[in-house]
Amino acid sequence: MPSHNQGVTTLYLDHHRWLHAWLHGRLGNAADAADLVQETFVRLLNRRERLELKTPRAFLRTVAKGLVIDHWRRGEIERAYLEALAQRPDLESPSPESRELVFELLERIARMLDGLKPKVRQAFLLAQCEGLSHPQVAARMGISLRSVERYVADALYHCYLLRYGA
Amino acid sequence: MSRAQALQPPCEAVVRQAIEWSLRLQVHPRDSRLYEQCQRWRGLAAEHERAWQRVQALSGELSEQFAALPATGVAIEALEQSQQRLQRRQALKLLSGVAVLGCAGWFARDLAPLQQWRADYATGIAQRSTFHLADGTSLQLNTDSAVQHDVDERRRSIILTRGEILLDTATSHPTEGRPVLQVHSDHGVFETLAGRFVVRRDELQTRLSVITGEVLVRPLNGRPVQARPGQDYRVSANQAHLVADPDMDASAWIDGLIVTRGMRLHDFLAEVARYRRGRVVCADDIADLRLSGVFRLQDTDKLLAVLPQTLPVRVEYRTRWWVTLRRHA
Repeated sequence: MPSHNQGVTTLYLDHHRWLHAWLHGRLGNAADAADLVQETFVRLLNRRERLELKTPRAFLRTVAKGLVIDHWRRGEIERAYLEALAQRPDLESPSPESRELVFELLERIARMLDGLKPKVRQAFLLAQCEGLSHPQVAARMGISLRSVERYVADALYHCYLLRYGA
Repeated sequence: MSRAQALQPPCEAVVRQAIEWSLRLQVHPRDSRLYEQCQRWRGLAAEHERAWQRVQALSGELSEQFAALPATGVAIEALEQSQQRLQRRQALKLLSGVAVLGCAGWFARDLAPLQQWRADYATGIAQRSTFHLADGTSLQLNTDSAVQHDVDERRRSIILTRGEILLDTATSHPTEGRPVLQVHSDHGVFETLAGRFVVRRDELQTRLSVITGEVLVRPLNGRPVQARPGQDYRVSANQAHLVADPDMDASAWIDGLIVTRGMRLHDFLAEVARYRRGRVVCADDIADLRLSGVFRLQDTDKLLAVLPQTLPVRVEYRTRWWVTLRRHA
């Protein structure tokens, strides 16, 4: 679609400096900001949806914001995972390669669960990650079994929508 | 099944039923009657069967993903911690502008302008938020709390649905002709024209602590009592009971503190647990140790870490949010 590419090119020429400044403001780091500027436009090139050219900066900000959150999420996951690992001296530290795989998996799961209410998310994770039965989840969270069942069902429905579309 | 049929997506109600069946069968995998009932449901409509197949495929994929995760405790810990921090960052750095992110959930609600009446106010764990109601009353929510309110010239009513609140309905406002402020909980109603007081809803009772002014306590089925400044009451549906010698300061949380006088360690940990995710418990043989002091709530890990300085205990972390205190060997 040449017109789509042209649209992206125009956006890039007109606004990439502004976008870099905006991202720099969010991230506090010019190199990360440059990476995300590039990623923003790569994502636009790969996407087939309509470009919002009437309000180009609001549109770019929306796309870039998603990337900023992904960027933060990845950083927080790596940090939280290493911290959690540090508290378990009984466990062997995984190799850098397998660590990378774990980060990716955790990131995918975190993105999948994005938007769930904290309790729904916690109930679902306790059941899926820890393999707890629903009564065990109820005891751990201090809520009723019925709530656990509802939360887990809600979480599955959320995943269903992501997997199959609404 | 033809391909055209397969492309018709099942509706939400049917998908949710399929999820119900799937979960029930996971809980009772060897229940043949349940299995037959499920089979029957699947046979009732092609849409049912499609939803069932999709849910099964999804469950399989999810199990596969979660099975590939590292050791118990570490993955869930990483996911929960990172999510909390991410929300905080998003709220601080992105919500400060015009954007409102749906995924920030309760966090976004706290920061949103709150001029809507009949709105729900809520806080997450370890959060405190203050709101100003239409009549000038200030409402502060402690950790993990929620209220509904309905306040205007004719009616001033607040329903405490979870947790703990501080209400300050100022005496400087002209009180004449003003309706009584009512706080409803499961166990009764608390009424005042002007005052500053804390209401906390537990499972079996509601606590009231009056700082200034007077509050009329009306237990659901009991005799009303007038509570005066400095008094703490425990209120069940049947009666209001004055606490003569409280083991903690009911309003210290407003300053981010727990202040105790001879409090049982078991009860103290239950208090601390309200301000953090997960479990904080102690072994039975130290549950009755007594604790007096001032503790900062800002960082409950630090708070727990100072306990061994005054008590013969050690703090054991199974995961970051599963803490057990044991007797120091």
